[in-house]
Order: sequence, then structure tokens, then C-alpha cells
Amino acid sequence: MSGWRFWVLLGVACAVCCLPLLSNNNYLLQVLFRIALFGGLGLAWNLVGGYAGQLSLGHVAFFGMGAYGLAIFTAHHVPMWISLLLAALVSTLIGGVIGKIVFRLRGPYFTLATIAFAEVLRLGAANLQITGGAIGLSTPSLFTGEAFWKLFYLSAIVLAVLSFLANYWTSRSRFGYYLMAIREDEDTASAVGIDTANYKLRSLLISAYLTALAGAFYGSAFQFIVPDSVLTIDISVQIAIIAMLGGAGTLFGPIVGALLLVSASELFKNEFGERHLLIYGTLIVLVVLFLPEGIVGSLQQHVRRRRKPPASSAASALGRAEVQGVAEQ
Amino acid sequence: MTTFLQACLDGLLIGALYALIGMGLALIFGVMRIVNFAHGAFLMLGMYASFLMFDRYQINPYYGFLPAGILLFIFGYLVYKLLIQPIRNRSEFMQILMTIGIDLILIDLAQLTFGADYHQANIDLVNRSLHAGPFTINAASLLSFGLAAVFIVGLQQFVMRSRPGQALRATAQNRDVAPLMGINVIRIQGLSFALGIAFAGIAGGLLLPALYLFPSVGEDYTLKAFVIVVLGGMGSIEGAAIGGLVLGVAESLTSTYIGNQWALAIDFVLFLLVLSLKPSGIFGRQRA
Repeated sequence: MSGWRFWVLLGVACAVCCLPLLSNNNYLLQVLFRIALFGGLGLAWNLVGGYAGQLSLGHVAFFGMGAYGLAIFTAHHVPMWISLLLAALVSTLIGGVIGKIVFRLRGPYFTLATIAFAEVLRLGAANLQITGGAIGLSTPSLFTGEAFWKLFYLSAIVLAVLSFLANYWTSRSRFGYYLMAIREDEDTASAVGIDTANYKLRSLLISAYLTALAGAFYGSAFQFIVPDSVLTIDISVQIAIIAMLGGAGTLFGPIVGALLLVSASELFKNEFGERHLLIYGTLIVLVVLFLPEGIVGSLQQHVRRRRKPPASSAASALGRAEVQGVAEQ
Repeated sequence: MTTFLQACLDGLLIGALYALIGMGLALIFGVMRIVNFAHGAFLMLGMYASFLMFDRYQINPYYGFLPAGILLFIFGYLVYKLLIQPIRNRSEFMQILMTIGIDLILIDLAQLTFGADYHQANIDLVNRSLHAGPFTINAASLLSFGLAAVFIVGLQQFVMRSRPGQALRATAQNRDVAPLMGINVIRIQGLSFALGIAFAGIAGGLLLPALYLFPSVGEDYTLKAFVIVVLGGMGSIEGAAIGGLVLGVAESLTSTYIGNQWALAIDFVLFLLVLSLKPSGIFGRQRA
């Protein structure tokens, strides 16, 4: 998929996404808002967790900072939309500092450190004055009036498209090939001259910015935030599962994941009451056991296997990175 | 000065239980290289097992923790066989996800079975205190400490002295060479997983009298267990025991001097400090 065909398809997809705007069913729009928002979040996470292969379970930190930032800045008389951008910017900067520390670690240490940072923020938010403690803060409504959910849905779509474009660009740029090389073998990647810390950090910065924006919209849509709603580890896990279920490191995986997971949990909530909680854990276990590449990833592998004999993905990612590097010089 | 020493004392008492939790996690990590994100959920199961025995049959938790530990040993072995063994050669990423999945399932099952209500095992001992000079010691905490100490020493001796313990250490050192020495690695991994889970269950039973019980009670302990293991050096069982005591004292001092609500925060601060300054742990040797 390249050139004009990609943009035509994207245009068609956006047009389809705008169809629900014709409906006045607020419940439907609210669910669609969450699907689009979590699709965007999954895509944002995909840059770090999918392409760079760093299992972050601390993305709720950026999400929460976005939401809290919006509330705090507007409370200090900064205009709403400027607060939104400021909140995302500050979250990204803090994300940069966090990244500097956590990217020195690998594997389980990295995952644990991301959780620890998010938890420190949650505890801070629950105990500090400026964040309203456990009582929380009310967030400004970015939109008001009749079209409330329509406008929020539309912004979530815009955000998802932005995240998608970031993924699209990553999947076919030198930057992305470097990330994939790091994912396949970090030592080898660094041996062929890739500044691994630097590229991981860059992917985190883009991801953090998008995640913080989504958090701000989420906080604004539900009008009230407490530490347990926007800084809970559950959201980190949910984002990661969405991407993994669809297929981490694939372009369409997180979208498929969000569609399935959010609508399934909504359906189960109505059908089974409390038991809907079980689906997250069960899904994770099933995906790990039977679909380790995710839905889209497994499909792609299936198609690829039929077309040509499989090449080692590590070698090919490194190969591409190298070829690109040489071409640059 | 008395306040300081009292805080240290309280910290050591709770620290012994932390040591139990941390040693279980360290055992699993050392032998299997799997970070068990479901550790706290198993602890929670141990608490519920012990609580049910207390509630239904009036079995004192200070006896009940033992059957709870045995139940968890069996349950841990089943979980290993069904869910962990099939993925033991997969990437770290997948193994972490698997234990997170198990964690969520256990918590949600507990929520469905027992409801979200808070429970408590009321026993007299909790309200009794011993006085020694200017210091006060809670009788229940002291008993927990004593029992925990027995298990800490027991596990340490088992790993260092017994034949299976030797096989455990050999597998931890090199899991490719261990089978060449005639060690059944799968069986040893199953044993270490079950044993680690049993220790979480025992700790849960011993914690029961001191805590309110609810389905996600274990979450904080999963994170604490990681901190303990990182403090002591990943995979080192003695290190985890010391790490547990250090964490107990650090938390106790924090609640005394800064405030109760920051006790959990000090866990993470310690954790991030150790990871960024000395990733091999305070007591750990440099990893190869």
C-alpha cells in the first residue's frame, strides 16, 4: 500500500468513521468515543511496545498527567485549549525524564520501573493538595451542548488518525527500522551503530505526547478525575492488551484490538454483569498461549508464509536498518 | 530515640513477612527467569483460604496458614503445568503478559466468588501487646515474626543443604547444562514455582490477622515483592530475606516520620533508586 492509494483508503476510512455522527444515540456515541480513544492509545503504545518491543505498563502515567494537567492549568486561568496543549507538552517532558531512567533497564526491570513511575504518580496525586487528593478534580468541558458526545467522538477519531499516521510513518522509515532492530536484538542493533537509547527515547516521546492528549480528552469527557480513574494500572494493562490482542508491531492491530475489546467488554457488561471482568485476564492468557502474534500479526504471518519462504525477522529488520543507514550516508 | 527504635522494631516485625513474600518471588525468578506478576494474587488466595477456615470452622489463622500454604503449593503446581510450562521458552514479553493475565483472572475470580466486601479475622491476640522497657510489641506481630523466621531459615536450609535444593541451584545457575547433569529441569521448575507460591500463601495466612481482606489486597504486595527482590539482588534468596527486612524498616520509618500514606511511595522510590544506581541490588553481586 503506497502513494495515492494509501491516502484514498485513509480518506474513505475517515468518512466511514464520521457516519455515527448522524446518530443522536448518546450511549452509542460514548461507546464509540471509547473505542476510538483506546484505538488511538493502543496505536500510541505500539510505537514503544510494538515497534521498539519495550513492554511498558506505565503508559497510564502520561494519560493521567494529560488529564490532571488540563484540569490544573485551567484552574489557574489558562485558556482551555492552550491548557490542553500545555498539559500534553509537560507530560511529554516528564516522559522524557522518565524515559532517560527506565530505558537504561531491560526486560522485566524495564516493565517494573514503568509500573513504579506510574504508581508514584498515582500516590502523589492521591496525597497532594494541587491534585485534590483522593477527592480528585473537576475537569473543564472542552465541548458543551447538544453535540457533546459527537464532538468528543470526532476528537478521538482525529487523535486516532494522528496516532495511525505516526505508526504508518514508523513502519516505513529508517526510524522505525531502527526500532524494530532494537526489538529483535538490542545488543546487535547497538553493535551495528544504532544509538539505541536515543531511538527508544524518541519513540517514547511521540507515544507520551499522543497518550497525554488522549488522557486530557478522556478526563474532559467524563468531567471529573480521581487518581483511581485516570492513574490506575488497569488502564496501562488495558492499553497493552488492546495492542497485543490485535498484534503488537502491526499497523492495524491496535485498531482491531480496541474494536474487539471495548465492544466486547461493553456487551459482556450488559450480558453478564460483574463477570465481564474475567474477560481481560482470560483474553491475555488465550492470546499468549494461542495467538502470540495477535490477530493481525497472525493473519499477516499466514499470508506471508503462503507467499514466500520465511526469512528471519531479526536479520531482515537489521538488514533494512543497515541498508537505510548506508543509503543515508 | 525511642520513637526511632520503636519504628525500627515494628519494621523488622513486618519485614519478616515481606521476606517470606520476597523469597518466594526470588525463588521463582532465580530458577525460571520468570517474573511472577501474579505473586500478590496468590498471596490473596492464601489469605482467603486461611480466612475461610477461620470463618467456617473457627480454625485460628496461626494454624490455618499451614494448610493454606499446602493448598497453594498444589495450586501453584497446577498453574505451572497448565499455563507456565507451555510458554517457558517464549520471550520475556510473553511470560510477563502471561503472569499478568493469571493475576487478573485470580483477582476477578475472587471478586466473583467472595464479593468485594472487606473481611477481617478477629482474634484476641491482635489486641494484646507486650511491654519491654519503653517499647511495645504487638503479640500477633511477634508470633507472625517467629513463624516467618522459621520458614525463612527452613527455605534457606532446604535450598543450600538438600538434594532437590542443589538441583534448584544448579538449574538457576545454568539451565542448559543442568539437564546434562541428570536434573529434570521441568520438574525442578515446577517445584520451585509451587514452592514460591506456597510461600506467598503462607505469608498471606500470617498477614490475615493484621489486615482487611478484599480481592485486590495482594496488588500492593506484588509490587513490594519486586522491590524486595530488586533490593536483595534479583534471584538471590538470602538477599530477598534481607531486602524484606530493609523494606519493612524503611516503610515503618516513613510512616512514623513523614506520614502513613507515603509508606507505599517509599517502596517505589527505593526501587527506582536501586535500579538506577546499583541494578544488581544492594547485596547482590555484579551479574555476568
